[in-house]
Amino acid sequence: MKWNSIRTKVLAALLACLVVGVGGILALMHYSFERNSQALAEESVTGAQKLFTILETREISKMTAVSDVLLVNPQVRDAFAAKDRSRLLDLTAPLYPQLKSEGITNWMFHTAEPDMVVFLRLHNSPKFGDALNRFFDKEVARTHERVTGNELAKAGFAVRIIRPFYDAQGGVTGYVEMGEELGQFIHTMKSQTGSDYGLLLNKKFMDRQFWADSSKVWKRRDNWDDNPNFVVADKTTAGDNIFGFQGDLAAVPEQGKVLERFQDGSSVFVRGIFPVRDAAGNTVGAMFVVRDISSFYLAMRRTQRVLVLLTIVALALGTVLVLTLLTRLIFRRLDHIVVVATRVVGGDYKSEIHVSSDDEVGQFEQLFEQFRRVFVDVLEHVPELQGK
Amino acid sequence: MSQLYDIKLRIEEKIQADKLDANEVKGKIGLRAGKLLAFITADTPDDPATIVKLRQAVKDVLNIAL
Repeated sequence: MKWNSIRTKVLAALLACLVVGVGGILALMHYSFERNSQALAEESVTGAQKLFTILETREISKMTAVSDVLLVNPQVRDAFAAKDRSRLLDLTAPLYPQLKSEGITNWMFHTAEPDMVVFLRLHNSPKFGDALNRFFDKEVARTHERVTGNELAKAGFAVRIIRPFYDAQGGVTGYVEMGEELGQFIHTMKSQTGSDYGLLLNKKFMDRQFWADSSKVWKRRDNWDDNPNFVVADKTTAGDNIFGFQGDLAAVPEQGKVLERFQDGSSVFVRGIFPVRDAAGNTVGAMFVVRDISSFYLAMRRTQRVLVLLTIVALALGTVLVLTLLTRLIFRRLDHIVVVATRVVGGDYKSEIHVSSDDEVGQFEQLFEQFRRVFVDVLEHVPELQGK
Repeated sequence: MSQLYDIKLRIEEKIQADKLDANEVKGKIGLRAGKLLAFITADTPDDPATIVKLRQAVKDVLNIAL
């Protein structure tokens, strides 16, 4: 191979184009892959957040509907208006197991203000008479309207509703409250999505005694002292790796945040976080989510590999095609001209150049053949060559 | 007999000995030396520059030193 030949230069240029092209495609694909992976990861977090909101809304609707039924029950209404605890308990206790099986784990009646103490706890009936003094209680007393949201009480951190209860004349006799533990939520979310969840709460917004009481009610270890700033409300994983986070929970953006993408064996996971607010609007904690994105990730990776392979094959075929065309249209014909010219100079005056086309090389072939004829004619008239 | 003609004869001997394509070999040498071998006869006067060129062409094409 001659290094200064056009063929070599064209081949080098094509190879350079191939390398640059493949490199460019690879870089583009890597960029696209990373963007898609990030979008998928973000979608995983926002999807979990949406599901959380949907479940929250659904449970609020369910508890509102149950309280609507209670409100129009004259026996319950009268028993509460008469502050007849034992009768109220007799009337409502049979309902509690059914509601509990549907997720409503907290059910309380509160007296009206100014005392506003717990009149009856269906989930812990021996305990009553205590004032909770939460945002919830103050807000419903202020507005006499239904208040919903997440709130910590003695039976745990739950999505709750609290609404006024009226007597036959329409006067407020107290309040009914229902709640579903957020711990239940994350297990429901796991069963629906297959992802893992963990709820971390900021101690700044928690009541130490409430947490101790709720741990007793639900017969779980009081983990208050495990971490100086946070407490693990519940999780669907065995370990605590899901909660790995260095930062301020209050600074987690509203739409959530992707923390990392990691591989475990052949599986690829995304771990993210989104804030959880209480009824007062405080960021009281954060929900961590770990989603298995292996199927999407591997499908994207497969597509990327196929595209890279196809690009390389296409560029390689293009290189071969261009070289073949150049050889057939130019190089081979130029070689023939060189051979004929050499042979004529060497004494073979009968060698001819056959004009194979009227393209640019063909025009050169024609010109060279005309030149050859003139040259041979001149040689035939040279005295030294007469008779040779 | 001139040196140029002597070189020409030795080229022809080599072509015959190695059974080479005479037109091709003479053509290549002629083009490289800038001299048509057919023009070289026993009476051709020696020209030092042409001798040098012809020897170099023979060296390049047949790889022999004359």
